[in-house]
Amino acid sequence: MSPSRRYTKTHEWIAIEEGRMEGAVGITDFAQKEVTDVVFVELPKMGKKIPRGGEIAIIESVKAAFSIYAPAGGEVVAVNHSLDGDPGLLNRDPYGHGWICQIRVNDPSELESLMDDKTYEAFLADGGGVPGHG
Amino acid sequence: MNLPLHPLHLKEGGHVVDFHGFALPVRFSSILEESAAVRERSGLFDISHMGHFEIRGSDVVQAVNRLISSDLERVPSNKALYGHILTEEGGVVDDIMAYRFGEERVDLIVNASNRDIDRKWIEDRLPSGVRLADHSDGHVGMALQGPMSPRVIGKILPSLVDMGRREARTLSWKGGQFLVSRTGYTGEDGWELFGPSSEGFTLYSEILESGKAAGILLPAGLGARDLLRLEAGYPLYGQELTLDVTPFDARLDFAVSRSKGAFVGKEAILDASGKPIRHEGHPALTGFFVEGRGIPRTDCPIENGSGAVVGKVTSGGYSPRVGGGFGLGFVDPAFDREFRSGVSGKVRIHGQALPISFRPWPFVTGGILRAASV
Repeated sequence: MSPSRRYTKTHEWIAIEEGRMEGAVGITDFAQKEVTDVVFVELPKMGKKIPRGGEIAIIESVKAAFSIYAPAGGEVVAVNHSLDGDPGLLNRDPYGHGWICQIRVNDPSELESLMDDKTYEAFLADGGGVPGHG
Repeated sequence: MNLPLHPLHLKEGGHVVDFHGFALPVRFSSILEESAAVRERSGLFDISHMGHFEIRGSDVVQAVNRLISSDLERVPSNKALYGHILTEEGGVVDDIMAYRFGEERVDLIVNASNRDIDRKWIEDRLPSGVRLADHSDGHVGMALQGPMSPRVIGKILPSLVDMGRREARTLSWKGGQFLVSRTGYTGEDGWELFGPSSEGFTLYSEILESGKAAGILLPAGLGARDLLRLEAGYPLYGQELTLDVTPFDARLDFAVSRSKGAFVGKEAILDASGKPIRHEGHPALTGFFVEGRGIPRTDCPIENGSGAVVGKVTSGGYSPRVGGGFGLGFVDPAFDREFRSGVSGKVRIHGQALPISFRPWPFVTGGILRAASV
């Protein structure tokens, strides 16, 4: 069973299996459609410690630069270097091969305040989807 | 403010943003897709935000000529001319296109951001007997650009296909009066058309539908327009042109006639022998290519080899046709001289200093663009 995703209001997702501390982080399909034309992804360094809401990556698209924020505080334990050679993965497969990094979260209870699928969908439908950036 | 074509843009899936108070599509599909379409096939832009003045009177050619840097009197009738409106100090009030129709009519197309300033500036300086009519409010402007533009326009307005480069005409279409010219802001062949909202709406729709059905046209937004004009090395008012720089600072020497008579700002930018005057402390426009992964944006600092800030990016971007990040920037003239001779510099993006090398513009060739002579 694939881990369920949790979402931020700034359109990042994090997927952590029940009982685990590490999970992949990426941007949502809505976000990749807003960003479009990804040219570079500035990935975090392995071992980087980051607070919740801290900048974890920068996506450079033709239009603008977009900061990506950590859905939960923790440490970067894996980085998706295939984005270096093929940043378009972020557009083509945002929930799969377009993941950005994995973090080991400090405090799993931080995930509880994030949105689940249904809540995020409602958030988008409610106009919360209009991003502050871009 | 919503412009007449706004409902069509929503129908086409346009992502609408605010641009100087006007709601305009920044993109429909993607900036890369739309800019590639314009370089390879064609694209249709909404430029209804631009200002359109029609100026009439018996001395109109001389009157307008006194307000612009290029020489309208040496341009034949039915020809478009690029020029600058200058202050007495030689700063740029706006960059404009002027269209001369005989001896008694001159039309001007001006930037959206400067419409009101320009109108007042011009009206305050016109002699009595010369009158300005402002068609900007509620009009429709469109730019059809790209190598396949002749095929697209030929389906709807076949009489325009034989127009020469920069030729301008007035056109009556379905009862509306249009200003039409074979000009553009992308470096490609194409047409720009301005007319009343109702007939303009119909014309835009017909061009779009016909071009899309033939598979040779996409609607294109401000994002593609900005990237294409930057590739072509064309200035954008507010970025490469401001009240604080002269046309020579922006390296738009061709926009200034050195042989014409008096015009506002002449004494500040040309000496008695017709040579450009350099102003102490003014920056120089330079072009650069980023050696590494990074996209420069407006206001990113430009540094010399020892890390001292020597200027900033006025316009930057990324283009697969240029092969990476590139841009224009105002820098210290001393730095510009060494930069042009091959000394590298740096641009600071998200706190990181990336190496840059001088790149002459236009940054791309083809279309109507030829390689720069440095």
